[in-house]
Amino acid sequence: MNDAGLLAQAVAALKTLGLNYAFVLDAGERQAFLRGLLVTFELCVLTVPCSLAAGVAIAAALTSPRRWVALPARAFVEVTRNTPTLVQLYCAFLVLNMLITQQLQGLGGNPLTPFVWVVIVVALHKGVFHAEALRAGIEAVPRVTLEAARSLGFSQRQLLWRVELPLALRFALPSLVNNLVDLVKMTAVASAIAVGDVTYESIMIWTQRDNVLELLLLILLYFGLLTWLVSLAGRWLEARWRMPGYGQ
Amino acid sequence: MASEIAAAPAAPALGTEAGAGFIAHLDPRRHPWLAALAAVLLLVAAWTATGTTPVALRHLWQWSPTLLLGLLTNVQISVLAMAIGTAVGLLVGALSFSPFAPVRGATRWYVQFFRNAPVLVLIYFTTYVFPFELRLAAWTVPFPDWLKVVLGLALPTSAVVAEIFRGAIQSIPSAQWEAAQSLAFRRGEIFRLIVLPQCLRRMLPPWMNLYASITMSTALSSLVGAHDVVDAAQVASNTVARTDFTVLVYFTLLAVFFAYCYPIARATRALERRHARH
Repeated sequence: MNDAGLLAQAVAALKTLGLNYAFVLDAGERQAFLRGLLVTFELCVLTVPCSLAAGVAIAAALTSPRRWVALPARAFVEVTRNTPTLVQLYCAFLVLNMLITQQLQGLGGNPLTPFVWVVIVVALHKGVFHAEALRAGIEAVPRVTLEAARSLGFSQRQLLWRVELPLALRFALPSLVNNLVDLVKMTAVASAIAVGDVTYESIMIWTQRDNVLELLLLILLYFGLLTWLVSLAGRWLEARWRMPGYGQ
Repeated sequence: MASEIAAAPAAPALGTEAGAGFIAHLDPRRHPWLAALAAVLLLVAAWTATGTTPVALRHLWQWSPTLLLGLLTNVQISVLAMAIGTAVGLLVGALSFSPFAPVRGATRWYVQFFRNAPVLVLIYFTTYVFPFELRLAAWTVPFPDWLKVVLGLALPTSAVVAEIFRGAIQSIPSAQWEAAQSLAFRRGEIFRLIVLPQCLRRMLPPWMNLYASITMSTALSSLVGAHDVVDAAQVASNTVARTDFTVLVYFTLLAVFFAYCYPIARATRALERRHARH
């Protein structure tokens, strides 16, 4: 009751500034908006590790000595980098998903939800950019360091896991964090296929109430908060992993 | 020689012979794109001749003018957004070197805000916040959706251009300013004659990258009701309502964007390599 009173006061105070946040007083709409915030958060939390895993896999495929692995990976990278995410999402959700649904009609339906498709598409899309960053990181590891490690008797496997990858990760970290910030922003595209993220729920609310500016301010603040958290985590990792003599 | 003259009525045969020589000259391994194009043309010719064109392809042919018109909207949006964004971005970038701290702070906020906002949200912002027509004195000018998308895309573009410009200026060693000053150049002259020409060269590759990325973002305009190529593909897919056509039209969409953006990416990389060598 007290909370509700406080909320009503806050809404009234904002009203004097010309901002109409009356929707938070409606239990249904407030819940829908909060659910949207949660769904966007879940999307980010699920997509970030998936994209990193995809990035490592694509980087491994790109640097593979086998041509039949490396060439398709290169083609995938070029197509992904040079086409819009929205069109990729449509190709996945409206085309692949439709085909899968048709195939599985007799077998109890399609288990893939729009939410899952957004995670897959955004993770693969950003995975491509991670892969490029990791590749650049691997190339930035000084030859001399590797030779020094080899002369100290490191085996090929130890060389990769103890020397090359840790250094490559540190070189790639700033670009990886940049990509993750982009990833958080990119999850807004989920609203295009009716995943109930914060953008979608806001559209639902503003078509009823005509309070677009107010909701957009909230969305921008929320994305600002999420991207700030990602860059904060990135800076923390950079400081924690800092090695004297390597990287900035 | 004489036999050739005698065979004058058989001129088409000569033509094909020359054509065969020409084709043999074009090694398919050296010109994979030309070879692919020739293969596609042959296939289309064979289909048309025998009247066995797949139904989905025939639909695609029927819808291709609509799709092309949509693509034109995308190109229009991207070019205008880039033009406005570059003009505003250069201004903001120049202001970020202002001697007044409040102006510098404001430009930093501007850049941070519009770089960190999702493009889709900015497009929603400009679409719903601006009115659908403008009243200028006595006239009412319609304010179409695609123009609002242009503004929505110009905002993040200007922020990125400002960053690119700032980075380029700062990448010029300060020793050049000092050296030019010692040669009695004025501040404006140093900027115009020494710093700016070098900046433009450094700005070109990231600027081209930005153009490709803005072109890809124009696909989002279909979500706010602009009739772009994605919207055209959706309408086509819903109207024809055939599984094979839906598959075809969406992958055509992918191919169209790829065909537009990939050459830009290749050119950017070539430029970067050339600059790296100098």
